[in-house]
Amino acid sequence: MIASRSPVARVAIRAASPLAIMVGVYLLFAGHNQPGGGFAAGLVFGAVLALRTVAGLQRPTHATGLIAGGVAVICATAVLTLIWGDSLLDQQIVEWTVPVLGKVKSGTALPFDIGVTTVVMGLVIALLDGLGAAAMAESPAPTQPPASTQPPASTQTKGEVSS
Amino acid sequence: MIQLVLVAHVVGLVGAAVAGRFTMRAGLLVAAIAPALSFAWAITELVGSGLAGPESPARFEFAWVERLDLRFVFLADSFALLAVAIVSGIGALVFVYASGYFSPTAAAGTRFPVFLLAFSTSMLGLVLAESVWTLFFFWEMTSVTSFLLVGHAHTNTSVQDAARRALMITGGGGLALLAGLLLLARETGSSLLSELEVVSGTSGTVAAILVLVGVATKSAQVPFHVWLPGAMAAPTPVSAYLHSATMVKAGIILMAVTGSAFADSSAWKIVGFTLGSLSMIWGGIGALRHRDAKLILAWGTISQLGLLVTLLALGTGKAVFAAVSIVVAHALFKATLFLVVGEIDIRTGTREIDELGGLYKTMPLATAAAVLAGLSMAGAPPLLGFVAKEAAIEASLELAGTERVLALLVLIGGSVLTVAYTTRFLWTVFGPGPATVVKARRWAMTVPASVLALSGLVGYVLLGSVNDVIIPASTELNADAFKYELIAWPGLKDAFVISMAILVVGIGLGAALSRSQRVAPEPLGASGVDRGLDGVLSVARRATARVQHGSLPVYLAIMALTVSLAATPFFFDVSLDGLVWWDHPLQMMLALALAASAFAGAFVDSRLGAALTLGAVGIAAAGLFVVQGAPDLALTQLLVETIIVVGFVVGLGHLGRSFPRAQVGWQAVRISISVMGGLAVMAGLIATSAHRTASAPIGEIVEQAVDEGGGNNVVNVILTDLRALDTLGEVVVLATVAIGILALARARDGSQDHDSDVEVVT
Repeated sequence: MIASRSPVARVAIRAASPLAIMVGVYLLFAGHNQPGGGFAAGLVFGAVLALRTVAGLQRPTHATGLIAGGVAVICATAVLTLIWGDSLLDQQIVEWTVPVLGKVKSGTALPFDIGVTTVVMGLVIALLDGLGAAAMAESPAPTQPPASTQPPASTQTKGEVSS
Repeated sequence: MIQLVLVAHVVGLVGAAVAGRFTMRAGLLVAAIAPALSFAWAITELVGSGLAGPESPARFEFAWVERLDLRFVFLADSFALLAVAIVSGIGALVFVYASGYFSPTAAAGTRFPVFLLAFSTSMLGLVLAESVWTLFFFWEMTSVTSFLLVGHAHTNTSVQDAARRALMITGGGGLALLAGLLLLARETGSSLLSELEVVSGTSGTVAAILVLVGVATKSAQVPFHVWLPGAMAAPTPVSAYLHSATMVKAGIILMAVTGSAFADSSAWKIVGFTLGSLSMIWGGIGALRHRDAKLILAWGTISQLGLLVTLLALGTGKAVFAAVSIVVAHALFKATLFLVVGEIDIRTGTREIDELGGLYKTMPLATAAAVLAGLSMAGAPPLLGFVAKEAAIEASLELAGTERVLALLVLIGGSVLTVAYTTRFLWTVFGPGPATVVKARRWAMTVPASVLALSGLVGYVLLGSVNDVIIPASTELNADAFKYELIAWPGLKDAFVISMAILVVGIGLGAALSRSQRVAPEPLGASGVDRGLDGVLSVARRATARVQHGSLPVYLAIMALTVSLAATPFFFDVSLDGLVWWDHPLQMMLALALAASAFAGAFVDSRLGAALTLGAVGIAAAGLFVVQGAPDLALTQLLVETIIVVGFVVGLGHLGRSFPRAQVGWQAVRISISVMGGLAVMAGLIATSAHRTASAPIGEIVEQAVDEGGGNNVVNVILTDLRALDTLGEVVVLATVAIGILALARARDGSQDHDSDVEVVT
């Protein structure tokens, strides 16, 4: 509905999302040496997904898989480093030379950060979903009166009743 | 050997789970294998060892929590082996029986076979336990698995109530037992059952009472018996197994193995005797008042368990010997009767004794089994129940003084009632009358019942072998017991005369009562327990409605108020001396902008305006972070602001344009709470920053980050490496929050379909 009501928003979101994803990827990888990191990247990705969903550019993503996957990756990293190194979550650093990029240094912090990213993405999507983002995207076209897009008001406004 | 048996049971669990996927019958038959193997093992050991018991009983232990010295210890002495034989032998037969009980066309089901075998395994662990902790662990396991089994038909609310009641009572008794065992282990200095010493004094008394509460809850002694009749809601194989041979015997076994520690305790004797006698009489009366065949048996079980508790509380060698004999005899005849009643239920469709009759014509095999078992229960020769009851009477005759009179009175009274309800049960169900129409016989049900019924007769014929098993087993519990043996035909002695008199009076009473048509009474205590439980739940619901009424402003007000009250001590600690007002003039400007936006946000009327001012606050805060030299924090802050904007975009669509008007008084309250909260945070920050005692370990962490973490962004290295475990915890918290949000969102979506799931209280 936002999309059909505001083509500007739709076009802008569509144009910005590849850039935003690049920024997110940059944040994820740069995080080890410069500002950024898994949490920030997760926020960016989550915002992109949520905006695209609201604008009707894609179907709602299911947060459950992202959350479960993220936790699984993190736990796997924790246990693997325990086996590989000396203790739980003991960082292991790997360096190797790749043809084009030259020397690449990475560590087990990367999969750990990727797990954080995924969980945060899931959280953002779940949050916005809880606010009704998916319902908003799926709500009927604007040919119908806009009032009908409001979901049952009773549960929504409950938090506002102050007495 | 013990580990092999345990492994066989675990393998059996997996096998039953797999086979149950095809048909429930297959699952049950696969599950029967492990108990059958344990039975074979126990019988071989018992027969091989003879009167002296096994020379070096099998022992197995492994550490559970090493630092707490918590170990699983198992020991297969002759008493344990006898118990294993009962538990596993009846278990295997019950599995076969259950495969006939559930209709052949029943859908595949893994739940029932797996739960039943899990119960059987817990029971095995319990009887083999040598350490009190092992015993307690398996004790609780039996409570949990029996809860699952009683609640098999979990969609039925009365079944739910019954299962919950059983769990509450036996679980509560488990807590008392834990306290008692802790006391016992502390006084004895060892947690091993074989090293238990006589505990005396106050702690002995307290421990005795606590253990007896555990016994009474598990073995359904008055006044804790109310769960047992309700548990008859379980499928009959479960009742036959749990409520005749095994779970209710757990209390008896506990009493038997800990009895040596309380040999001197008069509390043990008096409380145990009182509990047992009351249960014996009240159970017998209950069995005479009920009209449901299964309930008659359940009340009979309460009475029989009362007899066992009484004998074990007396604690003499002969009494313990008699108790062990009755445990064996009771397991055989009561399981048989339950199995027969289940068969009747399946084949006639009713268990009401008023609707049944003349079954001797239509169900001859079942009638024969029931009569054999019933006679054994009544204590008529030539059956195992007779010799066991003789031993009990002799044990009471051996006592002296008041004890003797009391014990004899209770025993005779209880036995007369037993004979009476047995007569009434057999006569009304199988005796003459218009025969009830029955469905076709299912052999899987008939054979186990017949085998168990015949074993009572065979046991009498081969009484020598039975003695070889029971004598060492009871000697294990009480060193005096080796002097006694079961006697097939005692001749015209006092005990024999008494038991014949009991039979005659009991049959007369039973025959008189079988014609009465009084309505069965409501279970007395059960409704009380349920009401108590409902009361607790409704208090909880009301408290939740009061505290969690769903008004966000009130939540926020409570949180802010709590914070400001908690911060009160800081107000006395504020000193403005060490304060640096700003490092950089930009900070002051940003702070002013932040404060201005916050003020504007408080006074703006429209929701969109509030969202914008909040965004301005966030961006100003991010600017402050940048000036302070924390780019990571600023970045995260900005991104969070972005997400919040998206949230507003989505959320504002559901809400009106402007805030609802608040009442003037409430507004004043809100403003004062906000001001207090803000002041409290300020005071807290100033006070804590003035109290730094050591310099921050920043240099150390930076060094570590570059060396070990291999990264230059210290914040990130702390998160992913140095304090990675904290991050792991936070991630789990985030994931939990997200799942919670999803659940809430989903509950709201589905609220029109099932309102009861989401209780929105305003």
